[in-house]
Amino acid sequence: MRLLLQALLAAGVSPRFIAQQGLDAVYSGSIYALFAVGYTLVFGVLDILNLAHSAVFTVGAVVAWILVVNLALPFWLAAIVAIAVCGVIGYVLDRTAFRPLRRRGAPHIASLISSIGVALILVSLSERAIGAAAHAFPERSVPSGVLHPAGLTVDLFKLGILGVTILLMAVLGYVVRRTAAGRAMRAVAENPRASLLVGINVDRVIALTLVLSSALGGLAGILYAVSQADVSPYIGRDQVELRGLAVIVVGGMGSVTGAVVAGYVLAIAETATLVLVGSNARAGVAFAILFLTLVLLPSGIFGQRRQRST
Amino acid sequence: MSRTRLGVALAALALVSACGTSSTAGSSGAGNTYAGKTLQLGAVVSKTGAGSVYGLQQVDGVQLAQDYINSHGGVLGAQIAVDVVDDGSDKSQGAQQFQTEIQQKNVLGIIGPTLSNTAVAAHPVANNLKTPVIAPSNTGINIVGSCPYACDYIFRDSLGEESAIPANVKQAIGAHHPKAPVLFYVNDDKFSSDGHTIFLKSFQSDGVAIPDANVFGFSKNDPCCESVVTSALAKSPDIVSISSLGAIPAKLIHELRKQGYKGTILGGNGFNTYQVSQQAGSDGLGAQSGSAYYVGIDTQINKDFVAAYQAKFGQKPDQIAAQAYAAVFIFAEAAKKANLELSSSSLAADRTKLRDALKSVSVNTPFGQFSFTATHDVKQTIYVVAMDGSGGFSLVSTVQP
Amino acid sequence: MDLLSGFYNAHELLLAEVGINALLTLSMYVTLNCGLLTLANVGFMAIGGYAAVLLSGNTHVPFVVALTAGSVLAAIVAIPVGLPVLRLRGIFLAIATIGFGQVVVAALLNLPITGEGQGLTNANADLSPLPAFISLAVVLFALWRVMGSRLGQAWAAIREDEVAAAANGIDVARYRLLAFVLGALIAGFAGGLDAHLNFFIDPSEFQFTRVTQVLVFAVFGGTSSVLGPLLGAAILTALPEFIRFAQDYRDALDGLVLLLVIVFRPQGLVGRRRVGGGLLRWRRGARGAPA
Repeated sequence: MRLLLQALLAAGVSPRFIAQQGLDAVYSGSIYALFAVGYTLVFGVLDILNLAHSAVFTVGAVVAWILVVNLALPFWLAAIVAIAVCGVIGYVLDRTAFRPLRRRGAPHIASLISSIGVALILVSLSERAIGAAAHAFPERSVPSGVLHPAGLTVDLFKLGILGVTILLMAVLGYVVRRTAAGRAMRAVAENPRASLLVGINVDRVIALTLVLSSALGGLAGILYAVSQADVSPYIGRDQVELRGLAVIVVGGMGSVTGAVVAGYVLAIAETATLVLVGSNARAGVAFAILFLTLVLLPSGIFGQRRQRST
Repeated sequence: MSRTRLGVALAALALVSACGTSSTAGSSGAGNTYAGKTLQLGAVVSKTGAGSVYGLQQVDGVQLAQDYINSHGGVLGAQIAVDVVDDGSDKSQGAQQFQTEIQQKNVLGIIGPTLSNTAVAAHPVANNLKTPVIAPSNTGINIVGSCPYACDYIFRDSLGEESAIPANVKQAIGAHHPKAPVLFYVNDDKFSSDGHTIFLKSFQSDGVAIPDANVFGFSKNDPCCESVVTSALAKSPDIVSISSLGAIPAKLIHELRKQGYKGTILGGNGFNTYQVSQQAGSDGLGAQSGSAYYVGIDTQINKDFVAAYQAKFGQKPDQIAAQAYAAVFIFAEAAKKANLELSSSSLAADRTKLRDALKSVSVNTPFGQFSFTATHDVKQTIYVVAMDGSGGFSLVSTVQP
Repeated sequence: MDLLSGFYNAHELLLAEVGINALLTLSMYVTLNCGLLTLANVGFMAIGGYAAVLLSGNTHVPFVVALTAGSVLAAIVAIPVGLPVLRLRGIFLAIATIGFGQVVVAALLNLPITGEGQGLTNANADLSPLPAFISLAVVLFALWRVMGSRLGQAWAAIREDEVAAAANGIDVARYRLLAFVLGALIAGFAGGLDAHLNFFIDPSEFQFTRVTQVLVFAVFGGTSSVLGPLLGAAILTALPEFIRFAQDYRDALDGLVLLLVIVFRPQGLVGRRRVGGGLLRWRRGARGAPA
């Protein structure tokens, strides 16, 4: 990293430019991280890739926007309600799409498919609710603030998202390590059958995980929509669905710390590509990194090294 | 036509003129030749999917036109019926709908599809089946004129970016004399890619070529827009152009202003809907584009159109609605001159006659007097408009064809 | 008869699309039957399609030759891609192949030869569904024979229990690669056919949504026989055409149908109840605990 910076400075790139790009990477990294936390949590506990997660991200933003624009709710209240709605969706998702399959011992691919089904429904409903166009939150309805120290553009709201992400990581870390619920989650993640035998209500743990994960997804969506002035039925699909995959793999499937770290790593990689190679090359970066990770270090940075190979 | 029929037709004509239809399609003097028949058209537009941003307004525009024509004597006495179906913003679905309309619904002509991406698959189908098409919102290159196939049945009433962008660029360069241009474009959709090529050409021919290092292409799925704007502003631009549609133009505008850029912002057709101006909000003030339509055009026909549209649909019409509305009138006017038989056995012949009549049609529309060029493209006034910072547009200048 | 020919005339493109989707689904069927959850078919489809268009656009080879060449190219690319990737199992394999598909799209968007975002025009387009149907018939027959042969049995053995298969002397890695390459061959062919149906090819055809679409066809139809993919693709492709009344909620309905089928009949329409213990169940050891 230091060599990189030295090379750039030698090439005449201004420190201000580098600092700004660094800030920019932090801004987008926070969204990836926040999104990936919920994504990885479900994989860790249920062993399922929940492809409805990006749809919940979208619904969070859409519901918050509707509440602010149509019901004139203050933003903080709209956000809380929207996050709660997403939590409920998580619960419903588990009851309708995942639990029946668990009961039947269906292969995991079936859960992947059912999550796709739910995602289609959620996105379609979003389209009916607000149309296909992109909207912005009304100008004075959401917190915002921009400072310009030393010629930089410091977006306070986006820095706030960084703060939220770090806070969440700490809180989740505590919950998983120190609380009974967290221990139950870890037990189910390790071995659901054994957990059942020791008296853990596996269904309840799974439902809790999904509620938590979806609430986080909704939160990520709302913060994205406000910071980018972009509310549409397609924000999940376009912005986070696929890169989120890269993030959780690189970070280690099931690891919350990994998801957060990998989110920022990816954002920095994309920004570095933009600066060093060009904007057109960014599209492939996430997946090139994904590919390399899977081939060289499939368990990811923070994942456990228990990968079978032929 | 037999003598008695001619007599009846002339009498009917006298009757029709006496009723004083101030039909915008104009009267052509062949009387009620088509009385009792139906002029069946098809409209294949995006009622669902990403294109529905435009498609739903096209549905409204077509509906309004159909109602107007039918309540004002129809087309030489015939009722006009437009069968509106959904292309789902999808290439395959659009192409299939075209085929169904032509082969099953027996339409004389089709209005559509909404997106250029769909048109590349759907138009060849209609051309193959020798049915005329008016594209109401395909503004990319190779839609009409020089297409990858012999597109002799395809027309468009949507002002091409090849006309709109140069007019916009010329106006901006003349007004601001910029020296350092920057261009953003989305590289994974045809419309935006085409637009970027046209921007490059326009700037070059007006003496302010955009260097490669100042061109920033990216995917619509890429993170947007902080880093790319930072990189762009490092070039100290005094004029920024954006070739994209959907959510990205407004996001770029917001970020540009946030990072302190105070110069001119230009855009393509992606700027020309109220949703984008609303999404851009006050940051959008002054962002300008070349448009086929401006809601404040000061002609009676436009004022009537705006009032009727607003009364029926509760919002002002924009370029998309106006072009869809006009497309129906263009077909109607051509039908008047085409001497159609309108019987079940004459369908193929009628379609070709209609196509031939389209070539020389001239009709008054809300965006001015309209006719096709020799390459089936648009010949009309260009309106350079700018976002007004409150979700609407103001007029900057007009450019005559 | 008149009704039938009228239907055909009005729906040629839909029928062609069914054929192509069926071929894509069959390419997925091949890999699923070997126990591989690979989602790379759309990437190979893109390679096959672009190669076919470039060939028939720049040389005077007949369409069939261009098609075959594109398909073979896809199969060749599958080898260096498959070798590292097939060492993975389960969801990791799936994700790696999704990544591959995205890399293909990124490459298409940036290589001048592919016309980048503006795509390529294909002046030799032909709107008839016949090539798709003929290809489909050939592939259906071929796969039916293959699945019943020793090769098919080896694949089934690997799918059921990899360890046991290896213990029985089956070269697991080689058979998996074979399935992967065969899937790529078929997908590449479907890509060429699809390109041939349109006067234009561009990267937007090969996005992730198409990948999930094919997966859905495969799982909906079931993968215990070649009929499954055919039925799955046919019904789900054609269904929206006939649910006009619910046009506005089409996607939501698709999602609902998917959910219902998967929950109440996870083996798919044509599948047998227990699709096999090892099939599509990812290894538990391949991920860590949360936080």
